[in-house]
Amino acid sequence: MFGGVRSKLKAWIVGGIGTIAALAVGGALGAFDAIQKPAVVLEPGQPVETGPWVVRPLRAYTVDKGVYGLPLKAGEKALVFEAEMTNRTAISSKNYFTTFQSTGGTDEKPFVVLVRDSTMSPALQPGLPERMAYVWGLPAGAAPPDRFVLAVNGEIYKQRDNLYGAPGWYNEHVIGTVAMAVGTGPDTPDAKP
Amino acid sequence: MMRRVANIAVLLVAAFLCYGMQTTTPHYADLTAPIPVYGKIQDTILTRTFDIAVDKVVFARTLKFDQFGKQNLLTSGGVWAIVTARLDAADRSAMVAAATWQGPDRLNYRTSERASSAAGALPIALDPGVPGRTRLVFEILPSQVSGATLLVSGKLAGPLDSEARIALGSVATQPNGLPEGVTETYELGDTF
Amino acid sequence: MSIAAQRTDETGGQRTPAERRWWLRSLLALIVLIPAALAVMSYDSVREFLGNRDFFAKEVAWGSKARFGGSDWQLTDLRAALGRADIPPEVVPVLVDLTVTVGETDLQTLWLGCKVMLVDAAGRRWLPTAAVSFRQTDDAKTCISAIFSSARSGDVLKIRETFLVPKDATATIRPAIGVASERPTFLLFERPRD
Repeated sequence: MFGGVRSKLKAWIVGGIGTIAALAVGGALGAFDAIQKPAVVLEPGQPVETGPWVVRPLRAYTVDKGVYGLPLKAGEKALVFEAEMTNRTAISSKNYFTTFQSTGGTDEKPFVVLVRDSTMSPALQPGLPERMAYVWGLPAGAAPPDRFVLAVNGEIYKQRDNLYGAPGWYNEHVIGTVAMAVGTGPDTPDAKP
Repeated sequence: MMRRVANIAVLLVAAFLCYGMQTTTPHYADLTAPIPVYGKIQDTILTRTFDIAVDKVVFARTLKFDQFGKQNLLTSGGVWAIVTARLDAADRSAMVAAATWQGPDRLNYRTSERASSAAGALPIALDPGVPGRTRLVFEILPSQVSGATLLVSGKLAGPLDSEARIALGSVATQPNGLPEGVTETYELGDTF
Repeated sequence: MSIAAQRTDETGGQRTPAERRWWLRSLLALIVLIPAALAVMSYDSVREFLGNRDFFAKEVAWGSKARFGGSDWQLTDLRAALGRADIPPEVVPVLVDLTVTVGETDLQTLWLGCKVMLVDAAGRRWLPTAAVSFRQTDDAKTCISAIFSSARSGDVLKIRETFLVPKDATATIRPAIGVASERPTFLLFERPRD
């Protein structure tokens, strides 16, 4: 009888120690994750590898007329950002909508256009660099910024993901930010590296 | 004593078997992969839902075609590959929806979306006994021209369905890296 | 290794006759239980498989109506439309006319996945084509557009579909219709009699 109580007590203590250890390890890992990593500042004109893409931010400018086949109503303005993008993966892909993200002052989602012939968001072919234009609408009455700060996002390759065991690009994360000088009109020159 | 040794041996064998099964488990993506039907250019390849025979492959620097009454000139940083093929439905009406140019380095080029409004582009609906044709347009790296394979399937994502894999053979290259016999401009007309 | 051969239980004792009888009964039960378990587990897959295809034909004689998907279906015409310059001569456009007397009105459920087909003697099947269309002089609908026509009970709908069929098949083709609520059964109409 007392033996039973003692063994139960022992089990409780061992279980408790295990739980506390697990909590401590989990907490420590979480704390490591929460540490703010210093933001990497990327240079305009320099190639950056994001995982699926190699991108080279080239220029940013505002327009008050339609650009690359995208219509714009009178009085509306848009912020255009252009980059050279190369598909590093082994398959045609249009996984580029969130590669560049506006950090504020514009509409949430950009239109993405192939500069070469104004095709709306085509899949880009492996190994063929293309110049792409990201076009953000500006809120009515907002003054365009002097410097346009973009977040550059990357992804990591997983041989098999946790849900389907399928290979692919996952875990999108910010690689760094790039600040582009904002010109006026489509004659703005490209940033030199 | 003998019993203990036997038990340990059984345990080791079981562990070894489990390890072997774990390492040789096929990938989920392989288990649900399309089922290939192999062939070469000019062969008629019979898949579950459709038959396909590649007529010819042409390379071009630029493409010309009319879109909404406006003439388009499509340039490329690589080279255009235009594949024409004859199609037929097997025994019931079927669709052909996806084609991929797989280069010798296993780079996969889906049909170009820039030329997807030209005549003969996928998807194509087929009826049994009614001859069909398709013209597939790919934008590829010049290094992926020779020794490529054309993959054609009925659905965009076709797990466990048959997929034609057609060896397109080798193509001679010019000193500038472009394939021999490349034309400057290919017109994507309404007939082909 | 003679572990399995010894008829002893884990405490080392011999099995009693009663235990042995039950052991045998359990073994025999497996012969029934394993196939039963497989059947139960695959039931949904089999149902899904059959529910997606037109498998069992229900013959409908020329001139008669058949209840299907809550409505009465009748074949009224099957004809070739010749004389189109844009179609190669070995291919024939075929028009199928069906007359439907609507019974139950919930067409969006009952007629879901509605598919008019042509079936020939060799078992080949054609679905409606979008490659040719003909100007219509009446208010005929396609099966899909009829679903959204908000028809009431007792309404008579005219359904017309266009097919592209090779010439050699025109002698034996028969119209058929399948809807998701009735699959794997489908209606197979007799060819028009003169």
